[in-house]
Amino acid sequence: MINLRGVSKTVMSGDRPLTILHTLDFDVENGAFLAIVGPSGSGKSTLLGLLAGLDTPTTGSIVIDGVDITTLSEDKLARLRGEKIGFVFQFFHLVPSLTALENILVPMEITGRRDAASRARALLDEVGLAERGHHYPSQLSGGEQQRVALARALANDPPIILADEPTGNLDSKTGHHILELLVEVHRVRRATLILVTHAHDLAAMADRRLALRDGRPVDEPAGVLS
Amino acid sequence: MTFVLRMALREIRASWRRLLFFFICIAIGVGTIVALRSVIQSVRGGLAVEARSLIAADMLIRSDRPWSDPVEAAVERERVAGRVTARSETVEVATMVRPAREDVTPRARMVELRAVQEAFPLYGEMTLRDGVYSHELLRGNGVIVRPELLAQLGIAVGDDLLIGTETFEVRGIIATEPGADLGMFSLGPRILIDYADLPTTGLLGFGSQASYEILLAVPDADLQQLDDDLDDELANEFVSVRSYRRSEDRMGRNLTRAENYLSLVGLVVLILGGIGVSSVTRVFVQQKAKAIAVLKCVGATSRRVLAVYMTQVLVLGLAGSLLGVGLAAGAVAWVPSFAGDIATSFQIEYGLQLGATVQGIAIGLLVSLLFSVVPLLEVRHVKPSLLLRQDIPPPTGVDWLKWTVTGSVAAVLVGVAAWQAGSLEVGLLLSGGFVATAWVLHLAGAALIRAIQPLAQARSFVLRQAVLRVARPGNQTRLILLAVGLGAFFILGVRSLQGNLLAEFDIQMGEGAPDMFLMDVQEDQREAVVEFLDQENGPEDPPVLIPVLRAQLVGVDGQNVTLENYEAVRGRGRVSREYTVTYRAGLEDNETLLAGAWWPEAQVDGAPEVSVEESIRNRLDLEIGDRLSFDVLGDIVTARVASVREVDFRDFRAGGFVFVFRPGSFAGIPHGYIATLRGPESVDVRAQAQADLVSRFPNLSVIDLSEVLNTIQALVRNVTLAVMAVGSLVLLSGILILVGAVSMTKFRRVYEAAILKTLGATGRLITAMLLLEYGVLGAIAGTVGGLGAIVLSWAVARYALDMTWEPAPLLTLVGIVATSVLVAAVGVVASLDVLRHKPLATLRSE
Repeated sequence: MINLRGVSKTVMSGDRPLTILHTLDFDVENGAFLAIVGPSGSGKSTLLGLLAGLDTPTTGSIVIDGVDITTLSEDKLARLRGEKIGFVFQFFHLVPSLTALENILVPMEITGRRDAASRARALLDEVGLAERGHHYPSQLSGGEQQRVALARALANDPPIILADEPTGNLDSKTGHHILELLVEVHRVRRATLILVTHAHDLAAMADRRLALRDGRPVDEPAGVLS
Repeated sequence: MTFVLRMALREIRASWRRLLFFFICIAIGVGTIVALRSVIQSVRGGLAVEARSLIAADMLIRSDRPWSDPVEAAVERERVAGRVTARSETVEVATMVRPAREDVTPRARMVELRAVQEAFPLYGEMTLRDGVYSHELLRGNGVIVRPELLAQLGIAVGDDLLIGTETFEVRGIIATEPGADLGMFSLGPRILIDYADLPTTGLLGFGSQASYEILLAVPDADLQQLDDDLDDELANEFVSVRSYRRSEDRMGRNLTRAENYLSLVGLVVLILGGIGVSSVTRVFVQQKAKAIAVLKCVGATSRRVLAVYMTQVLVLGLAGSLLGVGLAAGAVAWVPSFAGDIATSFQIEYGLQLGATVQGIAIGLLVSLLFSVVPLLEVRHVKPSLLLRQDIPPPTGVDWLKWTVTGSVAAVLVGVAAWQAGSLEVGLLLSGGFVATAWVLHLAGAALIRAIQPLAQARSFVLRQAVLRVARPGNQTRLILLAVGLGAFFILGVRSLQGNLLAEFDIQMGEGAPDMFLMDVQEDQREAVVEFLDQENGPEDPPVLIPVLRAQLVGVDGQNVTLENYEAVRGRGRVSREYTVTYRAGLEDNETLLAGAWWPEAQVDGAPEVSVEESIRNRLDLEIGDRLSFDVLGDIVTARVASVREVDFRDFRAGGFVFVFRPGSFAGIPHGYIATLRGPESVDVRAQAQADLVSRFPNLSVIDLSEVLNTIQALVRNVTLAVMAVGSLVLLSGILILVGAVSMTKFRRVYEAAILKTLGATGRLITAMLLLEYGVLGAIAGTVGGLGAIVLSWAVARYALDMTWEPAPLLTLVGIVATSVLVAAVGVVASLDVLRHKPLATLRSE
């Protein structure tokens, strides 16, 4: 269960404050699939970053399973992410000096899982890259890199998966494949999936949608949370 | 832990090439430390095992005079009492030898002759190049010699050698010899003859500069007590008593000091490497920011990320240190081939010492870690939100942790320097010196960069770009200036010092000045010698004969200091040695009167008077009118201090005398002379003249200043070579750091080159830009180093060596140009792939 209360984010733009996310309240049930939609600069990625504890909100609280993550230290946040949150980025963000397999291994090695190696191989197989584990990111195509990133996000079997425009940097066919994988993970593992996208057709697959414009929730045909 | 270790190893796999050069610097530093310490510890190890070989006995009594009755009686008494179990006497005297064969070119050589009895050596082993030593070899006019003498005289084993008035047969070649001083300085090669044959040579005649030794074997339990007892008992007998332990202690201390100081060179190289590591780590963290953010995003805490990169540095530091140990092992294995002649009293097993190795590795690791920890702390400021947004504001406020760590690192570095130097003072001095030098290099570099800024408006595009690039953001200018500038500074400084030193000796050998000394001319030989020399040289250049006596200060009756006997004088330290003194009517050119009055030239009688040299006045706190008592071969002469002189000892042509007496002060005491003269120019005629002189007057010793000068020049050259080798190590480290810095920042250059290429720049243009950029940088580093070298050589010449200093503009110029060319070449070669990259691929990947 994720609860946001009075969450906003203001940054300094030059010497003037700029509010990129206005006060926001909402809840996400465990196992739900939420799509955050809106045009570029609407604050979608900022919101997702706040949910992952990658950044701290200017006001308000974000409670994940009863823990207010806005009060946690950097290190505790890191541990929380390692255990509970899998993140998929638009630009993949694999570590370039590590092979595909090693990129998947990292989160499990951090938490000290014993079956890390076998599980990493299983995950690679799951995303269809069993043969490419020893390749470096630079030797993989964009779609392949994103599949590795997805496998990495799933490594510790997190209850929450956050995806920031995961298909935005891929051609439509590859993007569709990634999305299928994501939705399947949500269904099979019963993981909470929060997906940022500006493509409405993707958003249509979600249980609920949150539309943002200029940092504010806007009414969609079915309300703030449809 | 497995995460940290695995990540560290994976990171090394990806980045070791870029970090390689810095860790080679670590290797060179560690190698220097381990090699130097191992070699000196090997010598010490040999010393500890064979300490008795140093003096060839348990205890040694030495005197410059034949044995007096009290000494003989004391030794005999102890022998009867059982505290002395064996004794053996030797006499050492410097003399001239020449081949007896008629067919070789006549040549005379000065040697250090030692006459030994059958029991010699009481300890240690006399070894020969060609056979086994026994005293039988010497009996009946046999002589064994160091190999260099045979080479110098062009003779071989079996040939005859004339020593004094006797003919000896060369029967062996000395390899190692107990009782030889450890060191490189001697008047000539060692030769050994039988003690029984010494009197017939006539070398112990009046005024000879012989040194007498009694070697004693003493049970270990009695050694210390006997040492103290004899020292007390013989305090007024002009002898020195010392046990092998005292020699060992003194030598051990000297070796320890040498070891510690020499190792600082290694530490300097290591710290240079450390500065390289620090700089590379800073860039490294910047380049790794995204990867670090990813790690944090998937759950790694700052501490664990920090641990990953620290482990990486440690593993590389360890690898560098181990490589350094390998280098040291190679260097140490190479030592015996040239160190053979330095320690001739005993065999030394050269090898890597465990202590030195462990120490080297520890310092290598420590320096790697210390210099990387501060830049690595930046890891904490890498936010995972970097993956979502690029515009992360830099952290504000004072980073207390960083400053605390920086302070601790500085303190630990001072500690390491103090540990290596074996002294907190030297450690602080070294650290302070390093910081000051770095600061000066930095300031000078900044000033020079500003000075060339007008060139940024130059018409040449290439020159404009080069000048701009030296000062552009993220440049490695400071690092390269420090590393290369320091190397240039060392090498140029030492070179110009060498030039000045050699020039100094050349001045003293000026036109027409005397260049030969005849020692031990006796009263009755005076006229014959002058006549002989006039025949050889012609009467227009007459030799100057200076009367000399050997005198020992045995009492001071002064206004400030009163010393009643020799024992009391001995308590004042160095003034107790035997002095060579003279008398004359006037002041010499190299002397200046500081106090008192010089005696009237005509006055040759009345109470004895003496003029003392400044340092003696200071040491004994003398006033004009004080009375000094001297023992001159058994006669006591008490003289009034009439004046104080300053003596320029560098000008040794007139002889530098600490005590000069008024003529008539030694009425009735027989004495000898030294003669100074200008020898023939031609080397062969010179050798012939010396040989003739020695065959006519066998007791004379000839010191040929031109040979002394050659020896000094060779010595200066050797020392210079050694220091230059060190400077080269520093320069090599500088070059490695340069290569490292270039390859570290290559990504920027590749990108720039790609943009320039798309804008129409040719490969040749880009090469020219690189060449000029590094050329300018090298010129700045060379100028900074060259200026520093001028200051260094001036300061050392002026204050440490007290000699005149001449600038060496050509050397400085060549140094600057050479540094510039070197840096330009290295910079371009290290950037070769910048030229090779295709622009499109580069721009896409950005």
